[in-house]
Amino acid sequence: MVSSLATSPPLMAAQPEIPLLEGRPSDAELTDRLLTPLWTTARGWWLLFGVTALGTLWLMVTVTYTVITGIGVWGNNIPVAWAYAIINFVWWIGIGHAGTFISAFLLLLNQRWRASVNRIAEAMTLFALINAALFPLLHLGRPWFFYWLLPYPTRMSVWPQFKSALPWDVAAVATYFTVSLLFWYLGLVPDLATARDQAPTVRRRRVYGVFALGWRGSARQWYHYRTAYLLLAGLATPLVISVHSVVSLDFSISQLPGWHSTIFPPYFVVGAIYSGFAMVLLLLLPVRRVFRLEDIITRRHLDNMAKLLLATGLMLVYSYIVELFIAWYSGDMYERYTYLVARPFGPYSLIFWAMIAANVLTPQLFWFRRLRTSASVLFGASLVILAGMWTERFIIIVTSLNRDFLPSSWHFYSPTWVDWSILLGTVSLFGLLFLLFIRFLPFVALHEMKQLRYGLVQGESSRGVAAV
Amino acid sequence: MAALFSPHSNVVARRVVVLAVLAVVGIPLLLMWWVRTPYVTGQGHTVAQPIPLFSHQIHVTGLQIDCRYCHYAVERAATAGMPSSETCIPCHSQVWRTGPFFAPVRASLTSKAPIPWQRINRLPDYVFFNHAIHVNKGVGCETCHGRVDQMAQIRQAVPLTMSWCLDCHNQPERYLRPVDQVTVMGWHPSQGSQLSQGRELKRRYHVRELTTCTACHR
Amino acid sequence: MTHWRSLEELAGSAEFREALAHEFPPGADEPASGMSRRSFVQLLGASIALSGLGGCLERPRERILPYVSNPPELTPGLAQYYATSMVLGGYATGLLVESHAGRPTKVEGNPDHPASLGAAGVFEQASVLQLYDPHRARRPRRASKELSWPEFTSAVSPAKLRRYVGDRGAGLHFLLEPTSSPFVGDLLVRLRALYPAVGIHFYGPLTSPMLTAAGTMAFGRALQPVYDFRSADVVLALDADFLASMPFHLRYAHDFAERRRITGPSDPMNRLYAAEPVFSPTGSLADHRLRTTGTSISEVAWLVLAELVQNHGLSPEGMPAGMRSLLGTVETDDGRLRWSRAVAADLAAHRGRSVVIAGERQPVEVQVIAHLLNSALGNWGKTVRYIDSPFAAPGNDGGGLGPLMDASAAGQVTTLAVLEGNPCYNAPADLDFSSRFSKLYLTLYLGLYENETAAEAKMFIPALHYLESWGDARAYDGTASLVQPLISPLYGGRTPADVLLAFLGEPDAQVHQQLRQFWQQRVASADFEHFWDTALQRGVLPDTSAPSVTPTLKWNGLDQLLTRSPAGRPPANEPAVELVFLPDPKVYDGTFAGSPWLQELPHPITKLTWDNAAMLSPGTAARIGVGSGDMLLLEADRRTLRVPALIVPGHADDSIALNLGYGRWADGEPVARGVGFNAYRLLPSMRYILPAVSATQALHSGIPRRHDLAVTQTHWAMEGRPLVLQAALEDYRHHPDFTRGDKGRTLSLYEPHKYTGNQWAMVIDQSLCTGCGGCVVACQAENNIPVVGKEGVLNSREMHWLRIDRYFSGPADDPEVVAQPMLCQHCEKAPCEYVCPVSATKHSPDGLNEMVYNRCVGTRFCSNNCPYKVRRFNWFDYNAEVSETEAMAKNPDVTVRARGVMEKCSFCVQRIRASEIEAQIAGHPVRDGQFTTACAQACPTKAIIFGSFADPDSAVAHAAAEPRAYAVLHELGTEPRVRYLARITNPNQALEDQHGV
Repeated sequence: MVSSLATSPPLMAAQPEIPLLEGRPSDAELTDRLLTPLWTTARGWWLLFGVTALGTLWLMVTVTYTVITGIGVWGNNIPVAWAYAIINFVWWIGIGHAGTFISAFLLLLNQRWRASVNRIAEAMTLFALINAALFPLLHLGRPWFFYWLLPYPTRMSVWPQFKSALPWDVAAVATYFTVSLLFWYLGLVPDLATARDQAPTVRRRRVYGVFALGWRGSARQWYHYRTAYLLLAGLATPLVISVHSVVSLDFSISQLPGWHSTIFPPYFVVGAIYSGFAMVLLLLLPVRRVFRLEDIITRRHLDNMAKLLLATGLMLVYSYIVELFIAWYSGDMYERYTYLVARPFGPYSLIFWAMIAANVLTPQLFWFRRLRTSASVLFGASLVILAGMWTERFIIIVTSLNRDFLPSSWHFYSPTWVDWSILLGTVSLFGLLFLLFIRFLPFVALHEMKQLRYGLVQGESSRGVAAV
Repeated sequence: MAALFSPHSNVVARRVVVLAVLAVVGIPLLLMWWVRTPYVTGQGHTVAQPIPLFSHQIHVTGLQIDCRYCHYAVERAATAGMPSSETCIPCHSQVWRTGPFFAPVRASLTSKAPIPWQRINRLPDYVFFNHAIHVNKGVGCETCHGRVDQMAQIRQAVPLTMSWCLDCHNQPERYLRPVDQVTVMGWHPSQGSQLSQGRELKRRYHVRELTTCTACHR
Repeated sequence: MTHWRSLEELAGSAEFREALAHEFPPGADEPASGMSRRSFVQLLGASIALSGLGGCLERPRERILPYVSNPPELTPGLAQYYATSMVLGGYATGLLVESHAGRPTKVEGNPDHPASLGAAGVFEQASVLQLYDPHRARRPRRASKELSWPEFTSAVSPAKLRRYVGDRGAGLHFLLEPTSSPFVGDLLVRLRALYPAVGIHFYGPLTSPMLTAAGTMAFGRALQPVYDFRSADVVLALDADFLASMPFHLRYAHDFAERRRITGPSDPMNRLYAAEPVFSPTGSLADHRLRTTGTSISEVAWLVLAELVQNHGLSPEGMPAGMRSLLGTVETDDGRLRWSRAVAADLAAHRGRSVVIAGERQPVEVQVIAHLLNSALGNWGKTVRYIDSPFAAPGNDGGGLGPLMDASAAGQVTTLAVLEGNPCYNAPADLDFSSRFSKLYLTLYLGLYENETAAEAKMFIPALHYLESWGDARAYDGTASLVQPLISPLYGGRTPADVLLAFLGEPDAQVHQQLRQFWQQRVASADFEHFWDTALQRGVLPDTSAPSVTPTLKWNGLDQLLTRSPAGRPPANEPAVELVFLPDPKVYDGTFAGSPWLQELPHPITKLTWDNAAMLSPGTAARIGVGSGDMLLLEADRRTLRVPALIVPGHADDSIALNLGYGRWADGEPVARGVGFNAYRLLPSMRYILPAVSATQALHSGIPRRHDLAVTQTHWAMEGRPLVLQAALEDYRHHPDFTRGDKGRTLSLYEPHKYTGNQWAMVIDQSLCTGCGGCVVACQAENNIPVVGKEGVLNSREMHWLRIDRYFSGPADDPEVVAQPMLCQHCEKAPCEYVCPVSATKHSPDGLNEMVYNRCVGTRFCSNNCPYKVRRFNWFDYNAEVSETEAMAKNPDVTVRARGVMEKCSFCVQRIRASEIEAQIAGHPVRDGQFTTACAQACPTKAIIFGSFADPDSAVAHAAAEPRAYAVLHELGTEPRVRYLARITNPNQALEDQHGV
């Protein structure tokens, strides 16, 4: 169904198609417009940079404090031994899914509209993963022994335990990060070369030159490049599915009501892509506005991504329903209590209903084309969805733990200021990295845009149709 | 416009790539090797002792004194037991009771202050080693402490790493000896191979391949 | 092997050098470790994580300090056990104390001692921590100036003292805690001989004056009853918590359990009736519990007696015919009459095989009626025997605090020596002791701490801890035992005997010799040496238990007591409620308020830690308009107390109960200071129940209207889950297999473990568990379990490996309480094991679920996946604050856990491995009962059985084979090695249909 989204499904056949690229700017024009941000710095940028930098500094402070004092400075307790760290981990990992999905998945499905958004999406993925990777490390009681999770011959002649999901988790995330990085960098190379050739000063030319790895754009290079890119895409695509499936195993291999569920892998993947697209939109829309890219990132793109939000949103709703049904159908008193009593009516019921509102109702907006193509609506919706997905992880983790089998061990959980600082700190770090990215790297895939325009022109001349 | 890079830079680039790969593979390997070196395990290390001239070699090889004369608790307790200052007296009231090298013992006896021996074989706090059971099951002193009879100055004879412990805990037969031979230095099975005799002893002493965690960690 | 075992390191501190000087033969043969586990861990981490850098770290130096001359009795690395006794409330409990290289580390019960029979209570077990308490007083002083012992002795020597008190000692007074020590008693006699006019007084806030008063009233002499629950089929407890807090309770609990324990459906079982205002461990075990105010207990007792006399023709010995008519049966509104009738009938049916016991806080008339009831039931000489009080000068009789205060008011007190106790804190409020005390000309205080009384005293002498001192004492039944030191004084100090000898003008006399001489004169033994040595070895002086006395009732004066018509309960609209003062199950009378272990021990019923609170019923709370945690304002005879309310289901309406012993303010005891609220501010003299106090919500501005109560269990219902299974004995007989669905093998995908050798397992009998908490403290002491403080408990981070879950079940207005000790279940299919990424928790061939602290990286996945939530996490470095002396109390056989690792019950694996090694060397298999876990050992009712399933004849195997055995959360397929025996009760059919009066 994904492929049918880009071409026109019968649903909206009546309306005229919005073009993927408005006007037909020449290569020179495109290069010029998309590279100027690299040579100039706006005052607003400095402002945002300052804010996020401060936030990142605060993150470092609180992290150091945690490592020195012990994670007792968090709100965690017994029974709720996992909380913010794992919630944030899953949240960030999830966000990190859209990038590869757009660049690899849609590439294989030959979705041309990905051209103008994939670079930002991929960058976003990397930054999200950096944040995510922070948490499994931090949440250890003794982080300095993290390497015991890696399989290597130790002096103690003991190995990690492969029955547990956690060593696999480490592997999965590491792989995903590596591949995403390669994929992103490979995509960058030709544009770095362009930047090298366009850069005003020699120093910048040299810097870009080093990273362009001597790209000359010869036919031979392009030939190898295409093959490599396609291969990587093929490699990355299964990872989109695997990573969050493995992450979901961290929960589903346990026997805890609320975690012990076979639906988790697909449920998590869907949720991940859902939140990922929300984050892409959240970043894309301001960029589009600030750099006046309405003709390059057209309402068509917004429309398509809104449709994806709707689709994944609906799958998520389906997962919710299945979870509840199975809980009731199983007849297991503990499952029933967790899903049908503790969550909707327990101490955290407010958060539960907030989650339902955010994740179930919001996407329903996108049944309407006008809302799908309205930047402001999309922006707001993305914010709500991101918050909603965070609360989803909160519900999954905290409400399952704080009331499990023996009522004697039930206890309330509430986060401390350190928990909040670290969460907001990672958000700042994320923003900081993104700011640096749009300042120093071509954030729209130049060569793919040119290619897209070329393709469009070809199509028109062959069909002799006016601007699509 | 002028070329950004000299032709040589290609070579540099290639080297950088190769080095990067080597580092990624090499550094972990290096570390794994390093933690196994005596430098880290302390195998063979010695420390200056309060009685510099005290020599196990003389007492064991020369005077044929049994280990248990001084390390008296080894058959009953977790710790082998260190000789009290008075332990020296029976012999040293006859011989070598004067002279500077015996001064620390005299001092200790007069001042009632213990002799501050320096520990050589150190196990981490969370390892609970019991001398008694090992000695009673036919694990020789030599097996862990080495040829003390040849040590003028005492030193750590073995790595004392967990894998080293497990080596014996997995195959005790490779190290067992008759209980009455435990204190013998440089012992060799009189008849038959170590393995054949080891198996026999293992059966006779009901020696288990004890590799469960709480055998040592409690 | 914990870092404080490093003498090297310890020797660093002045404090320790002092201790060392006193305590050890120079040096001790200890496997010393120069660095703490934590620094070791960091070193290891650094050396590998920071690659090359680690190499720059020099190998830590460690020293081994051998003895200069070997103490003959001691082999380094082997623990020794010494017998001694601890005195509480004047009565001795015999103990065995484990000692490592001259350091007492664990206190256990002495099987040969009648008051212990091998069990130990929370106070005895926690006392070892008090020994090492760094806050103990060290410095004798006059005002604030140093005071040497010779200075003191000369100051109080007869020569000097006579100048002030004259030859007869007029104005010279002594205040002691009630003591049963024959030796001290003798010293007091000698003192009186020296100073004929000397005043000798006794005061212990929890030593009830009622017992002796009742004795005098009923028999004309201070007789005290000793009950034999082994031969009692039916027991009626009148507000008597004889299973957990009354003197001799360890023995009573043991004997009661003998008759409570069943090994099969056909076994008989005793029956327990309890009438009480506050839920007590005894009440929680009762087959029928009457929820009624403390003031109305007398009414119940009266009704039962009337019933026996009127309808069963049973009357007390020699009861004048005239008096029978006084007991006209009275119609009462509520079910009390019905309850009393049923109880009376049941008692009457078990003449000579029943016990009626009255709580020591109940007024004299209840005590007397209890005597009459036992007499009427022919229990005298069968289940109840009478002895003369073992107290040196009985109770507070005559020389109590009251007379002392009168004397001082009359200006007849010039010199007052207070030997232990803490009267300035715990004297009844109406006596105004503190201010009078501070006004006296010369005051001396001998105490363990610079406490409230020390602050007011002119002269202060630090006291010795009982583990440092010589002495003797009698148990409740009169059996004499010796107190011998296990360690030479850590901080210096003296015993009351020392001080008395100084007053007698024998400053140089050694208590040890004096004690020996004292007994030598009294023991008709040819070979005294042998007698003495065996006495020290066994901890008991043979056949010294007090002879029984056949009492005769003095009827004159009893008539008005019998005619007393039952007190009507206050009408519901009146705001006044009764106030009951209770001994605290954790800090006793405040003596142990400085013990972190006991402060963090959850209250048996309310699970409250680090506090006390006004316990009241939901109904009363609603009437007053408070919820748990709201501050109450209590007012009685113009004295007020602000204290948080705590709602307890099953509490009697119109009754508020307060635990004594909190709200300490002395700087000398920082742990105790400011914890809880001081109930003594309302305590009247000679009474433990105030019939009418006004209780209102404290709303004054400025005063905190709420107070955080750190309760370890916040949810009190079982949510209809099969956790504690129970059945009435009758039903059990008809359906012995009612736990069928909750045990047996379950299907599993994993291949079973390969098991070899012993298969360790535990069975817990829920019919016998009183929830007293003895096992919790035992575990804490044995396994070096840290305390986390009130904040930690509020965060649900308490570290107890063994906790006692408490659930309320049955009707909301009159529920029953069930206790369920919950510890690592050592599941054969353990959910924690397969989720650990680093194999830090594994299964052993002998069926243990092992936790390897040093391998743990702290992902806490195991805790998440543990359905019993018995795993505990070191959120901080909980041992960072432990002082060097307290560290000496740590068990050297158990790792002290680092920050960031998980820990849990290990089935006392250190004991398992030790006994295995012992057996292997001796060349025999580990025998059943050769050793047991700390919890099983401490349990007074032997509700915990530990052993090996591999041995079909082991006690644990038999218990597990009982039809009522089951596994908690069986349906999860965890196949626990801890099995529970369903709770069986023995209700009276006559009362069944109207449960919950």
